Amino acid sequence: MGIAETYSRGRQFAIERPFALVLAVIVVILLGDLLRGLATGQTQFADIGTLVWDGLMRGLVIGLAGIGLSMTYSILNFANFSHGDYITAGAFSGWATTYLIAGLGRADIGALLLVGAGGSVYGGTLGIGMLSTPLAVVAGIVVSGAFAIALSLAVDRTIFKPIRNEDGITLLITSIGVAFALRYLMQFVFGSDVRGTTAQPPSVSLYFIDGTVFINAHDITLLVVASALMLGVHVLLQRTKLGKAMRAMADNKDLALITGISTERVVRATWIIGGGLTGVAGYMFILWKGTLGFNDGWLLLLLIFAAVILGGIGSIYGAIAGGLVIGLTASMSVLWIPSAFSRAAAFVVMIVILLVKPSGLFSGRATA
Amino acid sequence: MSVDANTDATSGAGVEGRDDVLLRVRDLDAGYGDLQILTDVDMDVFDGEYVTIVGPNGAGKSTTMKSVFGLTAHMGGTVQFKDEDITGRRPEDIIHVGIGYVPQNDNIFPTLTVEENLEMGAYILDEVPQDAMEAVYERFPILRERKDQKAGTMSGGQQQMLAMGRALMLEPDLLLLDEPSAGLAPDLVKEMFDKIDEINEAGTAILMVEQNAKEALRRCDRGYVLANGQNRYMDTGTALLEDEQVRQDFLGG
Ligand SMILES: Nc1ncnc2c1ncn2[C@@H]1O[C@H](COP(=O)(O)OP(=O)(O)OP(=O)(O)O)[C@@H](O)[C@H]1O
Ligand SMILES: [Mg+2]
Repeated sequence: MGIAETYSRGRQFAIERPFALVLAVIVVILLGDLLRGLATGQTQFADIGTLVWDGLMRGLVIGLAGIGLSMTYSILNFANFSHGDYITAGAFSGWATTYLIAGLGRADIGALLLVGAGGSVYGGTLGIGMLSTPLAVVAGIVVSGAFAIALSLAVDRTIFKPIRNEDGITLLITSIGVAFALRYLMQFVFGSDVRGTTAQPPSVSLYFIDGTVFINAHDITLLVVASALMLGVHVLLQRTKLGKAMRAMADNKDLALITGISTERVVRATWIIGGGLTGVAGYMFILWKGTLGFNDGWLLLLLIFAAVILGGIGSIYGAIAGGLVIGLTASMSVLWIPSAFSRAAAFVVMIVILLVKPSGLFSGRATA
Repeated sequence: MSVDANTDATSGAGVEGRDDVLLRVRDLDAGYGDLQILTDVDMDVFDGEYVTIVGPNGAGKSTTMKSVFGLTAHMGGTVQFKDEDITGRRPEDIIHVGIGYVPQNDNIFPTLTVEENLEMGAYILDEVPQDAMEAVYERFPILRERKDQKAGTMSGGQQQMLAMGRALMLEPDLLLLDEPSAGLAPDLVKEMFDKIDEINEAGTAILMVEQNAKEALRRCDRGYVLANGQNRYMDTGTALLEDEQVRQDFLGG
């Protein structure tokens, strides 16, 4: 291949995909800046390691919560804005359980069930943690999933099912209403203060080139739980009859009907799987960050939407990949910009990637 | 068989006097929502028979098939299958009685693999019927070659074969095919018709809609001409091909 040809190909590329070119230039500039920082000692490799780890953790939470959103989108055809509050509801139910088990006999049951509303009891005082109170945490994980399943089935039965055949916009607006109702109900019951939920978890320090990266027990718990659940969903979708039927329905609803796939059963399974993952994601999010407030899920929802859209809406692998990209971006952006803008950075990256690949990372792959 | 060669729009076009009837449609009125498309449609398919429906665009050919499969609004008349009244039943019931249906468009699951598409064809069974799958692979060897490929990445002809294979997974007595040759290159059209002949010779009755009307009528046992949601003509394929009026009005001379 001659130089002229290379040049003309490059030209062709620049004309056809100008955004890709601009993106490449920006990436080069950012990397250059980073290398300069590393060379001058302004930035340490260990700092980057810490941010990557932090971003990975965030990404796992977003990805795990994004699977349910993506599933309901591809199978039920609507963007469910109440998804964020299923996260919070799962978290509160799970943490009420954890508080109850960890603090039974040491504090007022009412205060425990309200997850220490109004500063009545603190998770740190109860010594809550994966290693210190494992039973309480595991029970909390299970309850968070179960409660979110029950909640999403109940909301579906009473609110979404009767309007299943309306268009996506009607469902979307309805779901916003559900989101507000749930959120303010939770605020009413649990109060609006943000409480600390865990004691400082033990951590290991990994020596990393020029410093240390701390990895604590809750990071590991999140990593294990999220990976296991993602793997479980993958196996379910690829290997089981139900999973294949779910993918079939996401692909082509009319044909699914003709082949005798029971669409209502698939819809129920979608809520059960999506709801369960969402509730657990909510619990793990709180375990990892160590604080809980009634707005947590709603605030996370914007990042989840970004992840799901980035991944190619409707694709669960896209949701996971998108979650990791968004999480890593939000964390690593502090290398270049003030941390107050990290969420904005995540959205900028989403928009930029969508300009290059408008249908998302895993476009047209439905739930596959 | 005493059948009027050219039945006009007002008289019934059913075949009486044979006792091995598989599908019997009588005075069927059907449509979408409140919109009526079919008026008094009569149609029969006998055991192992190969029947073609031809007619202009929008004649109601696809609507007739959808109505048999319970996918339209039923407005009158009856549909019988093997002495069972299936009028107005839902598709998930009809799939159990022994009718397979290959729709005109979007008849595969594009992101599922070829094999998964076939598995979905037998969704209502507890186990995937390995012998039926084997039979489909024997009939369409290309599907075996491509079994782990995503169905949406195959060519139009291969997708059409997959759609047929999917519908054959429950070994139906009657296969409804809506324009199986649509969009195929000429040599593939012939291959497709040959496959359909083979399926029919193996004992499956066929009710097929075709734009490729002359070829379809040459190969089938009997044909119906529909226009405007009504029966126009019914006769053996050869007789329809030779009929001056049918040729002029519906077969382009
Ligand atoms: N889902 C639908 N809702 C409303 N009207 C429909 C629908 N599907 C088809 N129609 C109308 O019903 C009439 C018959 O359509 P049908 O698809 O049965 O025709 P066809 O004979 O199969 O034609 P073609 O050769 O184009 O496939 C047409 O006027 C069409 O516009
Ligand atoms: Mg048609």
